[in-house]
Amino acid sequence: MSSEIISAALVRRLRTSAGISDEDVQTIRALPITVKDYAADRPVVRDGQRATECCLIVDGFCARSKTTSDGKRQILSLHVPGEIPDLMSLHLHVMDHDLSTLTACTLGLIAHETLRQLHRRNPNVAEVFWRDTLIDAAMFREWIVNVGQRPAPARLAHVMMELRERLKVIGRISGSSFEMPLTQEQIGEALGITAVHANRVIRQLREDGIVDVQRGRVSVLDEGRFQELADFDHRYLHQSPAL
Amino acid sequence: MPRFHFHIQENGRFIPDEEGQEFAAGEEVRKEAVATGASIARDAFISGSANRVIVDVREEEAPFLKVSITLDVEEPTER
Repeated sequence: MSSEIISAALVRRLRTSAGISDEDVQTIRALPITVKDYAADRPVVRDGQRATECCLIVDGFCARSKTTSDGKRQILSLHVPGEIPDLMSLHLHVMDHDLSTLTACTLGLIAHETLRQLHRRNPNVAEVFWRDTLIDAAMFREWIVNVGQRPAPARLAHVMMELRERLKVIGRISGSSFEMPLTQEQIGEALGITAVHANRVIRQLREDGIVDVQRGRVSVLDEGRFQELADFDHRYLHQSPAL
Repeated sequence: MPRFHFHIQENGRFIPDEEGQEFAAGEEVRKEAVATGASIARDAFISGSANRVIVDVREEEAPFLKVSITLDVEEPTER
């Protein structure tokens, strides 16, 4: 796999959100990255583990989650190609949550030492990655508001709308549908509701003619009502250097 | 493991659970039914879309347990 393909989605993201320079893009493309394939539903790094590398999603979907002592799992975030969901492990040495694959994934493993050297030699790139982790934190704030304050149908619509915005940046939207490869149970774990409640919400959105979720794909049936329900303000994604 | 279906009724509206889920113990089924009923009731009661939520759990076709949650708001007639 060529270095251009490995970093393609990452470069698209950083160009959009941080306006990264061509010179810095070349630096990122020159990084030694080990590509590895993972099956769906597999742990990448576990809670409590000491990581020695960060992983760039080249292809596929991942999720971060945390499980309570009585076995209840909360999905904290969803991740798409071009993201480095465990970038914080460079500075936070022991994982405080799980990172796992949702679908079959191709991941690019970047050694911590490589990233450390990159940041020291290229303060511009370090700033871009710092900004990226701050956007990550902004997405967590929105996730808290969503799970804590919105009713379940709006909660699901909001998660969908955010995912669509992020897929748009990396050019992964075709027509009015997009991928959201979560099972009913995983949708429940993301929204903090049971799988049966998730099923009920999905049905309601379909019957109301707003969105249809089938086999991991979301089809928007009524764009206006979808937006109204999701109560979505894209500002927190900071998808422009001006934001 | 036996498969359980959690059918929902919100006022008159019936929402079937075609997929179902597997549970090893009856106690787990009860917990899931109560959590589901409470979670759906929270949304339905606050939005005003229903004032009664029933979770009708069936093991294959046979009734296994039923959880019903009703919203009851009392206001004095004279204020």
